[in-house]
Amino acid sequence: MMRPGLARDAAVCAAGLALLLVLPLAFPQPALRDFLIYVMAYGLLAMSLNLLVGLTGLVSFGHAAYFASGAYMFGLLMQSGRVSIPVAIVATVAGTALIALVIGAICVRLKEIYFSFITLAFQMFIHSIILTWVSLTGGDQGLMGGIPRPPFLGINLNEGTALYGFCAAVFVACVLLMRQVWMSPFGYALRLIRDNPSRANFVGIDVVRAKLGIFVFAGAMASVAGVLLALFVSGAYPEFGFWTTSGEAIFMIMLGGSQLFVGPLVGAFLLQLLNRTVTIYTEHHGLVLGLVILLIVLGLRQGVGAFLFERLARRRQARR
Amino acid sequence: MNLDALAGCVSSSACLVTQISTALIVGMLLFMVTSGLSLIFGVLGIINFAHGAFYMMGAYFALAAYQLTSSFAVAFLAGALGVGLLGIVFERLVMSRVYGTDVLMQLLVCYAMILIADDVVKIVFGPEYKMMGMPDAFALPPIELFGGFIPAYYVFMIGASLLIGLLLWLGINKTRLGKTIRALAINPQMVGALGINTTLLYAGVFGIGSLLAGVAGALAAPTRTLTPGMGVSILIESFIVTVIGGMGSIAGALIAALLIGFARAFGAIGCPLFVDGLMFALMAVVLVVKPSGLLGREPAR
Amino acid sequence: MTKTTGVVGRRAFIGGMAAGAAITGFPHIAGAQAKAIRIGLPTILSGRVAILGTSSRAAVQLATQQVNDAGGIAGRRIEIVDRDSKGRPDEAARVTRDLINNDGCEIVIDGEASSGAFAVHEVVRDLGVLCLHTCSETSSLSADPKLFVKTAFRCARQGIHDAVAGGTYASEISKAKGLKKWATCSPDYAYGRDNTAEFVEYVKLFDPQIEVVDQLWPKLFAPDYTESITKMLQVKPQAVYSALWGGDLVAFIEQSNLYRLFANTAFFSGGLGDPPVLSAIKQLPPGLNTAYRYNRNYPANPENTAYADGFVKIAGHESTNWGWQNYLATQFIFEALRRTGGKTDGGALAAEIKGMTVKSGFGVDGNITMRESDHTIINYPVAWGRTVPKAPWVEGFQAVEWAKILELEQQWKKSKGYA
Repeated sequence: MMRPGLARDAAVCAAGLALLLVLPLAFPQPALRDFLIYVMAYGLLAMSLNLLVGLTGLVSFGHAAYFASGAYMFGLLMQSGRVSIPVAIVATVAGTALIALVIGAICVRLKEIYFSFITLAFQMFIHSIILTWVSLTGGDQGLMGGIPRPPFLGINLNEGTALYGFCAAVFVACVLLMRQVWMSPFGYALRLIRDNPSRANFVGIDVVRAKLGIFVFAGAMASVAGVLLALFVSGAYPEFGFWTTSGEAIFMIMLGGSQLFVGPLVGAFLLQLLNRTVTIYTEHHGLVLGLVILLIVLGLRQGVGAFLFERLARRRQARR
Repeated sequence: MNLDALAGCVSSSACLVTQISTALIVGMLLFMVTSGLSLIFGVLGIINFAHGAFYMMGAYFALAAYQLTSSFAVAFLAGALGVGLLGIVFERLVMSRVYGTDVLMQLLVCYAMILIADDVVKIVFGPEYKMMGMPDAFALPPIELFGGFIPAYYVFMIGASLLIGLLLWLGINKTRLGKTIRALAINPQMVGALGINTTLLYAGVFGIGSLLAGVAGALAAPTRTLTPGMGVSILIESFIVTVIGGMGSIAGALIAALLIGFARAFGAIGCPLFVDGLMFALMAVVLVVKPSGLLGREPAR
Repeated sequence: MTKTTGVVGRRAFIGGMAAGAAITGFPHIAGAQAKAIRIGLPTILSGRVAILGTSSRAAVQLATQQVNDAGGIAGRRIEIVDRDSKGRPDEAARVTRDLINNDGCEIVIDGEASSGAFAVHEVVRDLGVLCLHTCSETSSLSADPKLFVKTAFRCARQGIHDAVAGGTYASEISKAKGLKKWATCSPDYAYGRDNTAEFVEYVKLFDPQIEVVDQLWPKLFAPDYTESITKMLQVKPQAVYSALWGGDLVAFIEQSNLYRLFANTAFFSGGLGDPPVLSAIKQLPPGLNTAYRYNRNYPANPENTAYADGFVKIAGHESTNWGWQNYLATQFIFEALRRTGGKTDGGALAAEIKGMTVKSGFGVDGNITMRESDHTIINYPVAWGRTVPKAPWVEGFQAVEWAKILELEQQWKKSKGYA
């Protein structure tokens, strides 16, 4: 599956990874690492959701279900003490993909807002399972007692820098993988489904199967985001699977722009920065955040990332 | 599952009366919230995710008016009209600018509205629990009926909701304005071409929809605790009701709200722990079998 | 698409640099040699339980003002940095890390409820600073040795202590009045279920004739309790126990009033004793039994009254249970700082606090002790009283002997495998 541009994407990713690894050397405070890990985890969640929203036109309100499933499965596997971290991650991704397959098979048959509602219903169902199955999940108190991080292949993730490096590597690998799908013929088939489903059907695309395929892939990627966050906070909580988490991911997409591949990541970065800065200065962050959203939506009428990108492209054209 | 208890209740008039009244209490308030949501969706084609915040504002407006005047009538009107006005302002300043964009834009501005409303309430009224208290007119012992008990205030609440629901139905189905609104839902360009000011109509419909949320808030204020963020749980429930009943259908909203009321009241006796699961399951089944809901129209396309 | 990726790479770079500069360049950075001692307070300041955070903060501010007015500790002033976690555990973890890593906080007062407290607990395990949990009542947080963290302590009431006290008090009344048929109505989440199960266990232990005929589990933060109330009317219990708290309890009592539920049913509540709850209820029925949460008249001593007045001045309402627990936490921290001469090393402070006894107006006999074995407080008030319609709303507090509580707690620990 070599496509033109893969080498360049890989190079960009490698450069990105190098940058991520160098940054903490330039600014050695642990606060920066903490911040970037959050951006990576939520960025991955938002980017994976955008495979549905921006690429396929499927507005899922229930994507956080797979985020939570990733965090919980990984946490439970590690707490069992029988597997190493890489094995647990692979098993978690596979397990979540299976859940997404079952739920997706029902959901992708519905269109538009009905799709949104049924994904929301399934997410709330999973959230209520997490809350009620106390003996397994710890209920509303979450997975207690920390998630152990036993060393593997000589890497000790209890070390702050090692954990950060590991998260960055996993994150960049996932981004590269999603970029592959975004640019692949399959990705273009999904764009066609978004813009004109009957035409897609006409040219011989199995619309339901294609939608299900990307639904499962997006779910699997979201589970990796959940793993990263669980690894970092050393726990998993029902809030991961609540509708507010899904809502935030949607907000990140809108903030960055849904038609840009990295848009959601920009959005995640901006939202985390905004959230972090505003909570420092005021407890009325809801008021501030609400006003900022209104300004962006009513003022720019598109994502900040998309807006900047357009400005840049226009300026470059003018220069030519 | 406890079917014996359920059978025992159904065969006793006292239990039956009390539980049916419970179903109506839960259901009718839910109906008040949902009817506004449904009306706005039916006519404007947008989902007002900020509806729960309007419900909260209704309760707080009523509380403020009641503290000032000690009159429940004034409190009720303040809640209803205040939120109706707020809805019109919100529609004109914010919502009207995202008509025709995708649902995500609407979701975002409503999310912003919820955040702002919660914080403003916290700043103005404080973070503590607030309770309006029962107005003196209703401070009566519960009414006894066939051995069952129904509190006087709830009788009023059920009656008022029914009356408002009826007025709404008459207004939409029997008046000229109602006819125009129904036409607006189906073909706005045509209505505009006939020289009717659709901008005004949209604002009006959004205002009435919000007013219904305000009514629900004002009716709930004497018996429920007021806190910032109280709109969230009712929003989720009313979405379930809207989806089951059919988006845009007032009658569907009534049926679905009562369905939930009865499921809650009798579920509490028969299978208390599965009531919530039942709601989600019902919603999923409805979406799969008939996505437009019990009484919803299929989308025009 | 070449240009896109090029731009992206550059933007990511600029963004990364901006992040680096922004994150590490905040004016809040305080070096290790900074003058003030900074205490971080992650708590819930927004949403339905915002009062938990605002009253925790008010109490900590009060204590800080007092100590700073007296010249600080070892020549250093105390500064409080509070931050909203919005009630989300992952946010609580993030905020706590930020407070320590970025804002230079050397000590943490954890004002988080249930799951948030466990999240902060793990951060403290990672970073090794001193932490006092001031709002979580979940027994396992301190009782379960698997969760033990050397520098973390609980300065809050603990579920099992309240259960023994509640069982003792309620069984005396049930025996005297012949209340045999009981029902419970508690919120459906870990705290509500554990608290209720423990209460039922002890009340039945002390009065074996008690029979629990029905248990109702409305959802946490449910706005309406009508179906639970009418269900209870069908069962006709002689007494009801409830672990509802805060705004939920206010709604439950007002709605029960409409059905005159309390006219022939005795009511025992674990959460009614908080003054803001009591004062929010417009028609508080007299004679409801409640566990002590806080009261300006109990324990009756001038220090407690002074605290109550000071709190009202800052918060604008009477203190909550969370209020006194946070105030007490600062007393432990300040005393430890005095003993270390202002050194804020987590291990050194923890060594001072474990087993420490402070003089306190809240203590049953003027003292409260941080137990060395499991890092939790004892000797705080675990009394029960009865409601009256006007302030101070609860009267006739009856204390339960701590000796008895400790004995039964030990048995409970053994049965759980904790000891």
